[in-house]
Amino acid sequence: MNREEAPGKSPEEMYVQQKVRVLLMLKKMGSNLTPSEEAFLRNYAGVVNAQMSQLPQHNIDQGAEDVVMAFSRQETEDRRQ
Amino acid sequence: MMSMQMNEAEGSVKVAEWQQTYYAHDSGIQSGTTTVRDDEGTEYSAKKYAVTTTLVENPTEVEAQYTLTRAQRVRAAMFPETLVEGEAVLSTQTDPGQQTNVQRLAEPSQLLKTAIVHLINYQDDAELATRAVPELTKLLADDDAVVVNKAAMIVNQLTRKEASRRVLMQSPQMVAAVVRAMQNTGDMETARCAASVLHSLSHQREGLLAIFKSGGIPALVRMLSSPMESVLFYAITTLHNLLLHQEGAKMAVRLADGLQRMVPLLKKSNPKFLAITTDCLQLLSYGNQESKLIILANGGPEGLVFIMRNYNYEKLLWTTSRVLKVLSVCPSNKPAIVEAGGMQALGQHLTGSSQRLTQNCLWTLRNLSDAATKQEGLDGLLQVLVGQLGSDDVNMLTCATGILSNLTCNNSRNKALVTQCGGVEALIHAVLRAGEKEDVAEPAVCALRHLTSRHQDAELAQNAVRLHYGIPAIVKLLGQPHYWPVVKATVGLIRNLALCPVNQAPLRDAGAIPRLVNLLLKAHQDTQRHTSSSQQTYQDGVRMEEIVEGCTGALHILARDPVNRGEIASMQTIPLFVQLLYSYVENVKRVSAGVLCELALDKQSAEMIDAEGASAPLMELLHSSNEGIATYAAAVLFRISEDKSSDYRKRVSVELTHSLFKHDPAAWEMAHNAVPMQAAYLADELDGGYPPYIYSDLGVDGMPLEAEMHEQYMPEMAYDPRQAYPEPL
Repeated sequence: MNREEAPGKSPEEMYVQQKVRVLLMLKKMGSNLTPSEEAFLRNYAGVVNAQMSQLPQHNIDQGAEDVVMAFSRQETEDRRQ
Repeated sequence: MMSMQMNEAEGSVKVAEWQQTYYAHDSGIQSGTTTVRDDEGTEYSAKKYAVTTTLVENPTEVEAQYTLTRAQRVRAAMFPETLVEGEAVLSTQTDPGQQTNVQRLAEPSQLLKTAIVHLINYQDDAELATRAVPELTKLLADDDAVVVNKAAMIVNQLTRKEASRRVLMQSPQMVAAVVRAMQNTGDMETARCAASVLHSLSHQREGLLAIFKSGGIPALVRMLSSPMESVLFYAITTLHNLLLHQEGAKMAVRLADGLQRMVPLLKKSNPKFLAITTDCLQLLSYGNQESKLIILANGGPEGLVFIMRNYNYEKLLWTTSRVLKVLSVCPSNKPAIVEAGGMQALGQHLTGSSQRLTQNCLWTLRNLSDAATKQEGLDGLLQVLVGQLGSDDVNMLTCATGILSNLTCNNSRNKALVTQCGGVEALIHAVLRAGEKEDVAEPAVCALRHLTSRHQDAELAQNAVRLHYGIPAIVKLLGQPHYWPVVKATVGLIRNLALCPVNQAPLRDAGAIPRLVNLLLKAHQDTQRHTSSSQQTYQDGVRMEEIVEGCTGALHILARDPVNRGEIASMQTIPLFVQLLYSYVENVKRVSAGVLCELALDKQSAEMIDAEGASAPLMELLHSSNEGIATYAAAVLFRISEDKSSDYRKRVSVELTHSLFKHDPAAWEMAHNAVPMQAAYLADELDGGYPPYIYSDLGVDGMPLEAEMHEQYMPEMAYDPRQAYPEPL
């Protein structure tokens, strides 16, 4: 049964869609999945394909941003040579 | 000795001649008499003649001839200017190796002569000057320009001799007259003479004071617009002397708009002139923000950078670098210097033989570096800096690490370049050599942290750290005594290193996990000591919330490794992570949800997480506008609900579906129309009248979802910890 093509989605279809999205996002962010989660994705390969293009393109979880260090807080006089 | 007597006799003769021209009386140079002033003020000589001469009685003709010739020879040797035209002196030297008596006399005689000349002139010119000064002062103010010109020339001559110069500088009227003449004249030569006079006077304290007091500074500043090079030179040099040694001069030069006149002079091409000019700018702008802004407004940065790029004269480069250093702490000048190509220009001078120049350039580059993160064309500079990381000089290391840290900040091109030219290895060595020196350690670790993420060669860098034995050294930085900026940077670096799977075991072996957990506990305890969320603890300028976030974030990535996550869970960290889900700091929520998400892969941990009551805060987090947070929260809920009742899993599904629709408004609309009212979903889970959810209405056509989920995850199916990580998309 190919539920994704139904004009109005049922709640379980929504649920599958959302869970697929969550799992794909996890993978995108570099996290591991359980075997059952991997199987879930295999079972709903069609939904997976549909969802892939809808994932955000930017990196979601890259860790802390680079931050500059401000060194020019004070003047130091050097010896007049 | 006859030759000595000759000497004395000759000297006396000469002095007598001088006395006739200059004095009416004997000064006592030869006779040793003193000058006495009687009550009426007239001077006379208290001389008592005591001449000793040895006369040779009855010199033979030959002897007389010989004597005369010798006298002439002595005179000629001592006073060649007195030789009558046509007179020739025959040398009696027969043996080149043997000097004649005359020749042997000549040197001490010359010394004596010089001394005599000096003494005579001193007294002579001082007197002359004293009599002449009032007269000359008047003449300098004459209406006739020719008169003024001549007077200026004479005064200039008088400054050549110390005695007369002293007299001049002691006359404020004279100095003021010179200043006025210089200012008012339309004649170049007069201006030049007057400027030269002031220049001569500026070498003594008295002279400087006299110039300062007679309004010389505004006049000299005006001379900086002169088209005559020599006037410019005298003016800038005199001003330089004033700035160096005269109190109040800096203020006076600034008030006279000296900076506005000096900055355009940076376009001149004489290196020595430029060196003096730039030194003036440094003296005026050090510690004076307004001066720095005036320099900026007049194109100072461009002019100074041009000099650094185009000249080789060391002294000029050094003085210019000092001005740039002074300007580099000014927030307005900084971007201007960078835009003018300052980084590249300063970078040209880091490998020369002048230590003072190299060091000034480095300090300046360091100050500028946070404004230069987007600059292009810094490849050469970056390579030189990596090379300097091998230095033992702590100043050089401080600067090189600091500059590299900033230039690799959010700049993937710079990161890739530094990685490719051995930057990782060099930085590790710098860390090792830094020891307790935080000024080196902190930027070095920050630079490594930058290199290990967000660019094409990040993986290369992550591996390089391990390959160059960096991991133990880095983990050690987490130990006591804690300098929090270094700790914070190190925690971030460890997180990045853990992104590389091959680093996970070495990090574990180096003891990263217990250290991180202990730091987390300590920092968390600190944050809990404050009653309201607006109060934050700062230690060494770092908030403990940042340490909490950083440590949890590092543990999150370390938890991707199954052995590591077992170790993390075994340290009783789960209760703390669950508590952190309640943090008001979004990033802390994200990393704690993330680490729980990884830990929940293990069944025992999943149960512990559930036992800690994580479901409630996680349900809240499903509503987060941060998609990362919502994703982790959802994943944890899936994982802890695997073994739960279908009611529970239904609730999770409902919450999930509702929450995640926030990201998909169209789908929400459709779902809203397709299902019964929301009120049903909010029913108390203990209420037996829980309305039948659509899942349970499924017929045999479709498997109920939860049953499917249940079937896939069988308790007897052992989860294989050796399963490879899924590839990130």
